[in-house]
Amino acid sequence: MSGRGSRITDEEINELVSKLQSLLPESRRRNTGRVSASKLLKETCSYIKSLHREVDDLSDRLSGLMVTMDSNSPQAEIIRSLLRS
Amino acid sequence: MQATKSFERAFLRQLLRVFRLSAVSYKSMSLQERKSAIKLSADVAMASARGSRKWTRGLIAKLSEEDEHRSFLRLILGTEYERLTKPCHGSWKIPRSKKIVRRSLRVCSRRKNNLRAPHGFKSSVLARTLVEKRTHALKRLVPGGESLDGYSLLDEALDYVISLRAQADLMQKLLTTFEASKLSALSKCTLPERKASFVGK
Repeated sequence: MSGRGSRITDEEINELVSKLQSLLPESRRRNTGRVSASKLLKETCSYIKSLHREVDDLSDRLSGLMVTMDSNSPQAEIIRSLLRS
Repeated sequence: MQATKSFERAFLRQLLRVFRLSAVSYKSMSLQERKSAIKLSADVAMASARGSRKWTRGLIAKLSEEDEHRSFLRLILGTEYERLTKPCHGSWKIPRSKKIVRRSLRVCSRRKNNLRAPHGFKSSVLARTLVEKRTHALKRLVPGGESLDGYSLLDEALDYVISLRAQADLMQKLLTTFEASKLSALSKCTLPERKASFVGK
């Protein structure tokens, strides 16, 4: 996306905002027209934080199941089979 | 909106590679160390799978801040490491973008404010301060976001959220599959063997 010397159109902003809104769990549930800037920012921030927590928790649970990760471990084989499918 | 199939495959491929490279050190790690290693691996895999974006560069840069991570990252990413940590000259600042975004978003909130018209000025000042505060919060949450503004910040945040969502979903998939395979391995044992494997724990 180089050469962005030109102004961004209202349409581009609207599209970006609605794309973002469609990802946010709270906004999706509400499903009303549009949300204020501060609300959008707030919900984006809290969604990112909750995703961070989710990944942290998943890392925790995975570490319990992965005592070893060499090539012939069952876990490595599982990932390889997921890639093959 | 979600991450592409090729992102998912690249993520798994990178994760496998990272795990393989750290397999030796895994054995001597405590549970806590393993958890940090897995989280680091997942983040590297996510950034590498996504390719070159402001947030991926920001993430690798942040992870590189710790000495012990830097050599690990170099090992994992190889030549990609230099490319991903090079200061980005291509980043643009669109000075008017903040006003443009606020202008279009404020149309909606002004309609709401008309119902309580008298304090219009004060509430719009408050609204502006709140937007500023929350913009700063978002900048801190999106890697590399500090140098972004308005449209670019939202655009990068969108991409980051999509990738985070995919990362979490893929890790969940791995967890579920690992657990299922463990259960099926246990059930394949005959009864005496099963008893023995529990005793062994």
